Amino acid sequence: MTPEDIQNIFFAECEESLAAAEAGLSSCRAGAADGDTVNAIFRAVHSIKGGAGAFGHMPLQGFTHIFETLLSEVREGQVAMSPALVDLMLRALDVLSDHVSAARDDTPAPDDSALTAELIAAQQGGDAAAAAPAPVAPAAPAADRPSIDMQVAPDEGDFDLDALLNDISPAAAAEADGLRWKIYIRPHPGALNNGGEPVLLLRELTELGGECLACDISDVPTLDALDPLETYLGWTFSMPEAVSRDDVADIFDFIDEDCQVLFDEADFPQIAAITPLAADEVVASGADPASAGQVVSANAAPGAAGAANAAAAGGQSIRIDLAKLDRLIDGVGELVIAQAMLAQRVQGTEASHCEELGMLETLLREVQESAMSFRAQPIAAVFNRVPRLLRELAATTGKHVRLTIAGETTELDKTVVERLGEPLTHLIRNAVDHGIEQVVDRLEAGKPVEGTLSLSAEHRSGRIVIRIADDGRGIDRYRVLNKAIEKGLVSADAQLTDEEIDNLIFAPGFSTAEQVSNISGRGVGMDVVRQNVKELGGRITIESTPGVGTAFVMTLPLTLAISDGMIVQVGDQTLVIPLAHVVESLRPQPGEVQGLGAGCQMLNIRGRFIPILELHGAVGSAGAPPKAEGGVVIVVESEGSGRAALLVDSITDQRQFVIKSLDTHYRTVDGVAGATILGDGGVALILDVDGLVAAAIAKRPATAPVAMREAA
Amino acid sequence: MSTVTLPENCDRAAAAVMLPELAALAGGVPLEIDGTSVRQIGQAMLQVLLSARRSGPGAIISASPALREAARITGLEAALLDLEAA
Repeated sequence: MTPEDIQNIFFAECEESLAAAEAGLSSCRAGAADGDTVNAIFRAVHSIKGGAGAFGHMPLQGFTHIFETLLSEVREGQVAMSPALVDLMLRALDVLSDHVSAARDDTPAPDDSALTAELIAAQQGGDAAAAAPAPVAPAAPAADRPSIDMQVAPDEGDFDLDALLNDISPAAAAEADGLRWKIYIRPHPGALNNGGEPVLLLRELTELGGECLACDISDVPTLDALDPLETYLGWTFSMPEAVSRDDVADIFDFIDEDCQVLFDEADFPQIAAITPLAADEVVASGADPASAGQVVSANAAPGAAGAANAAAAGGQSIRIDLAKLDRLIDGVGELVIAQAMLAQRVQGTEASHCEELGMLETLLREVQESAMSFRAQPIAAVFNRVPRLLRELAATTGKHVRLTIAGETTELDKTVVERLGEPLTHLIRNAVDHGIEQVVDRLEAGKPVEGTLSLSAEHRSGRIVIRIADDGRGIDRYRVLNKAIEKGLVSADAQLTDEEIDNLIFAPGFSTAEQVSNISGRGVGMDVVRQNVKELGGRITIESTPGVGTAFVMTLPLTLAISDGMIVQVGDQTLVIPLAHVVESLRPQPGEVQGLGAGCQMLNIRGRFIPILELHGAVGSAGAPPKAEGGVVIVVESEGSGRAALLVDSITDQRQFVIKSLDTHYRTVDGVAGATILGDGGVALILDVDGLVAAAIAKRPATAPVAMREAA
Repeated sequence: MSTVTLPENCDRAAAAVMLPELAALAGGVPLEIDGTSVRQIGQAMLQVLLSARRSGPGAIISASPALREAARITGLEAALLDLEAA
């Protein structure tokens, strides 16, 4: 592993920590500000600080330190949790996340001076309240401790980080009291690997108020015997009472296994102290019953934390480079193809019935499922970014929105999760900007002042359904239609259904916002959303009720790589129909097919009429289409256009197929979702059922509905 | 006296480079190590410097503020920089 790799792990962990802190603060806002929650937030922020220090991201470390100090005061009850404080912390978290991005992308750190001042003020407010009943000027909490000369009142606007650190470090205050405890640190050679640097960690100890009592240099050999990769040094540090063992343990978290860290003085190796004074202190604190008690209580803390960690960890995990994982999954995909080829090769021979072949197929399917589950990620990764988005929107639009989330543990492929962010952001911006009314209008409509945005995700028949619903004014269909006519998107005399009108907002260049705001309204949003969703192999539909709200429903595949499908023969073509769309297949009996008007046939399935689509025409296949009566039809469900019956020559197989993108290898073709390689090595096109059905139904908008009405 | 100048960034790689150089020079006279341009120093180089101080007639290290600060944090001020302790 290179130092860059380790940094990347650190940044990945930062993301997790940020999400954990955000979740914690959200539950605080919901009124659950108990010790565990605050502790979780503290730990999250603290671990970012630890890594930031180890990798030398000073602005990030500085900001986390200030944030952490406030959190630690909250944890210890010196500062009371209040809605205003939660708000402040949420904003601090946003800046923290900007800091992390800046450190990761090596861009200038965000300007945090205003927020830093607020954080310090909040913390000092608590200090003043806790420490001094008499009013104390908040800018100078150190006034009653003149003996500590490092305390410098922060200068508004321009912060000297060192002064700040000293000023707010509880260590500085406790130093005078001298109740200190000790720690022994001995890095192993591994601590120097991968760009690790124990000196940086010691620097952090110093920043916490730690002081080096002794450095054991007795093992350092002469130059001729020195190995530059070996470690020879061990340190004894004295830490202020206010710093807990957890705080110190966190610093060494990163090089956990590569560094011996001892908390119990009894275990310390004998080291000659640097100065006699320090040696006195060792004896004094060792004999002090108060400090002995301290050791016991501090001892219990890591134990409890350890138990909690073990419980939280549950199963062990391992980080894998995504590229490696993708290679594995590609390999499994090729294996699936190879297995299909093998099955095809032995078909008709005696070997085709052998048990091993069946076993191979079962095993392969299991391996494939596990491989795909590696890539599965809970959708929470995307949902977790929403609260911040809403806060930013609240700041710009003045509309406060309550968020409810359901099904955030629903898992789907990492690629889908990653590419979901953009359309989701657009939809949420749109919901807040256009959907949810201004406060005045909401009150008039008898709605609560605060708007509600509901996000939900669930698995439904091999796909994932994501719903983004607001309780706003709904789509103003009259205005949408007029705007569309005005822009020439539809003709003035067009008769459109409600659904068709709703779908107009996905048209390129469409926007009804009277004023173009910087949030949405440029008319680029919604068609991009639809494009994004389409690229993911999904569909988006709208459910809108005027005055009640609008819901956007995205249906997406769980994975982009492998799917189940029905292999059908149409003329001289072999096609794949994704199984997710297939409802049933049947041979229509005489009398079940009714011709309606020009070349349109309807199939009567248990009293319900659905249109029959001849795939021969759609794929331009040679040969005459079979007769629907007595032929094979496959009933498919499509998003938006309902059911349809696809007429094919025969069904040859049902199996898994590896999706190969046609866009990257050729170009986008209407009605085709991709291609796959068959067992015989031939290429088969995968049908885009939704697109195909929608296009076929759109072709006869005038005749079909009329005919249907006549039939009814 | 032989003078050896330390680089700005005294990381592990720098320590591995400096070690043979120092070992070759160490002998009858105290080494003079110029650390006035050091901006960063890690444990590996600190060990090399300590070792140089303990080898043969020892070494005299002139320190930059960064080096002095690192020595202070690690409790090595006396062991590295004191003239008498050599």
